[in-house]
Amino acid sequence: MIGCHLLDGEFKDIELEDFDKVVLSVSKNRAALTNMPLKAITELLNQLGKSIIRDKKFAMLDGASFISMWLRRDNLERICKLNFVNSSFLDHFADSGAGFEMIAQPRGIVCHWVASNVPTLSFFSLVMGILTKNGNILKVSEENKDILIALVRGLSDLKIEVGGKEFFGKDIVKAISIVSFDSKEATHGEAFSMAADCKVIWGGADSVRAITALPQKETCEIIPFGPKYSFGVFDRGAVESADFRSDLKKVLRDILLFNQMACSSPQVLFFEKSAKPLSDIVQTMKEELAGLPERLLSRPIPQHIASKIINARSMYLLSDDKEVIQSEGLDWTILVNRDPGFEEPIHGGCIFVKEVNNIMDVVPFVTRKIQAIVLCTADNQRREVFAKAATEKGADRIVLPGAAHDFTLPWDGIMALNRLVRWTILYSKKADGGSNAAG
Amino acid sequence: MNMNRPLSKVTLEGLLQMPQYSLDDTEKNEVLLKLIKEQLPKTMANPHVKNLFEKQGIDIEMIQNVEDVPFIPVQMFKYFDLSTNPDAKIARVIKSSGTTSGSQSIIPISKETSANQMKGLKSILESYLGQKRRVMIAIDHMGINDPKMEITARGAGVRGFSIFAKEILYVLKEYSNGELVLDMPVIEKLQKEYAGKDVYAFGFTYIIWKTFCKQMKERGLKLKFNDAIVFHGGGWKKLTAERVSKDEFSRTVADLIGTKPERVHDFYGMAEQTGIIFIDCEHGNKHVPNFSQVIIRDMRTLKPCKVSEKGLIEVMGVLSNSYYSCAVLTEDIGHLEGMDGCPCGRKGRYFRFDSRVERAELRGCGDTFRE
Repeated sequence: MIGCHLLDGEFKDIELEDFDKVVLSVSKNRAALTNMPLKAITELLNQLGKSIIRDKKFAMLDGASFISMWLRRDNLERICKLNFVNSSFLDHFADSGAGFEMIAQPRGIVCHWVASNVPTLSFFSLVMGILTKNGNILKVSEENKDILIALVRGLSDLKIEVGGKEFFGKDIVKAISIVSFDSKEATHGEAFSMAADCKVIWGGADSVRAITALPQKETCEIIPFGPKYSFGVFDRGAVESADFRSDLKKVLRDILLFNQMACSSPQVLFFEKSAKPLSDIVQTMKEELAGLPERLLSRPIPQHIASKIINARSMYLLSDDKEVIQSEGLDWTILVNRDPGFEEPIHGGCIFVKEVNNIMDVVPFVTRKIQAIVLCTADNQRREVFAKAATEKGADRIVLPGAAHDFTLPWDGIMALNRLVRWTILYSKKADGGSNAAG
Repeated sequence: MNMNRPLSKVTLEGLLQMPQYSLDDTEKNEVLLKLIKEQLPKTMANPHVKNLFEKQGIDIEMIQNVEDVPFIPVQMFKYFDLSTNPDAKIARVIKSSGTTSGSQSIIPISKETSANQMKGLKSILESYLGQKRRVMIAIDHMGINDPKMEITARGAGVRGFSIFAKEILYVLKEYSNGELVLDMPVIEKLQKEYAGKDVYAFGFTYIIWKTFCKQMKERGLKLKFNDAIVFHGGGWKKLTAERVSKDEFSRTVADLIGTKPERVHDFYGMAEQTGIIFIDCEHGNKHVPNFSQVIIRDMRTLKPCKVSEKGLIEVMGVLSNSYYSCAVLTEDIGHLEGMDGCPCGRKGRYFRFDSRVERAELRGCGDTFRE
């Protein structure tokens, strides 16, 4: 069975045998969203952002304040401008500068498959679909559906006025459906895939491969946000600077947020050799970790991760050439070794620490699986040289400490909004009788 | 406690000789802590164990409670040589089944360790079998106990349980392709010559269920003895797909062997703590013998859990002088049912096994760096 939690603007749990009702509802209702000016959409989302930060039920939600800031109208406009250069393309035909006009038409129905490791991921995915005026159906995990429902419900009650006309959040919500079903149910997976004009996939390698291979419309676009790995680098200047402790604290927050299970969660920290011995650095890490908010430290850890942490700690304790510094419980673990390169992630606040002679020594290990590199250096020239080399090898984002998870587009090297629309062109005869066609 | 000397004078030998389940929890902790603190300095001969203590700044003299003895996770036996006595001649090496990871634990057993393990097992079994020797039915094939072959946990189990056997009959045989089948001449012999006799049976849980029970039922066979006692353990994880409950297992086996379901005893144990098994009493509780302790550790804080709280099962033991067995943390989840108060009269802690640690790795977008 398919669990449906939002249909036709109604938040109630129903069971469905197939997606027919869902597809029909979202297809019919998306017309109102398609006809809504972008300005109205961004204003409604802006209002939603303000309400989230005021709402006590989101107080404990990781990333709630970031969502609120991210939904600010100026940020959403910036995102659209980055993706479309001229955001007018989303509302009407506008001059392309190439002798014809263009409009960015929504692809239709966007089906989102969202991994469960980051509770707010589905919301960011949804907003991309909304900004591009698509109908959206989201397959979410049982544990995260309530967060998404609560966020979307907030939109449902909003009303704004733009240009003397009223616009309703309800019209956006009616073009959304939230569903859940067992991924092992091949029939449901195939039907969900066939409903999509665009598939947005967030998940591990197996999920991305399986969903990509499902039968789909010939015209279906696929946007895969696949498995990725992140890490942090401090150069000598950053280690020796007065800002080191505060930068380190920000990186440690990046690590612990989302239980270190996001693609943007740093797993290893590389420190360039400096006047500060690694043992001092690790001591500072220990102090900063101990001072982090309880909410970040005492999060639940799944059994298999707890087991991996316990085993990793013991491996390091029993080994000759490895060091471990750990909290009393499983709040955090620092694993120090001299092996070059990355380490398989353990998650749950397990931080591998390594010393390198030069930050450029890390670059050869970078693969196309690298998502974020938190690069701490005050030397902008060095920053650019490192970034050029690392992104050439495959890294997607070089970010500042504290910003590893900031959902900015492009993400995973993909300008997603741009791919959520169909670029259509219009040639017209000019008033003087000629055509606006090039040549 | 009914003993002639104070707790501080109790030796390992004394602990093994006294009737099991006779010490209450407090008494046992006192005795074990003393013995473990005597053993720990010797374990420092192993460089890895030495690292473990030194890196955590643990001063053996300062250890005040059994809970403070550093544990080693059971997986570490797959990665490290944890021999603690370079001078001891290793009589044999036990290899665990390696079901979960595919790799095997290697446990070096000295003569002294082996003798302690046998004494330990004997004193545990005495509590269930009495001192009388009986016919033992091994629900396995004869090759599993071949002294020429490498010792496996299964072989060690058969060998250990045979301590009360005046005769062993293996009811299965193994084909060259590894397939196990009923050894019909042995079954017929049991039906004809041993009906009504005192017997006890031992086997691995999954072999009993998947091979013995299945084939006995298929052939419509049953055995009948005089109140047979059945011990089974190991391999519940291999029965996950069958979804068989402990009750159903006991009823089926009791019906096929001709005994009461409460005479079918599940036990919990591991190759890394050979000699220590935790047998279900008639109330379904697993009891901890005098020479061992069980700590249930919270999976988040690693602190000892209270009664009924679920956590990782840690097994402490004092039987080995050839590898680190003082505290072994398993990957099993269980909970304490109580201390000193089981209606069966056995003293000490009693617990239940709940599950294996979940293995499912639901990886999200945060994944390996490998392409």
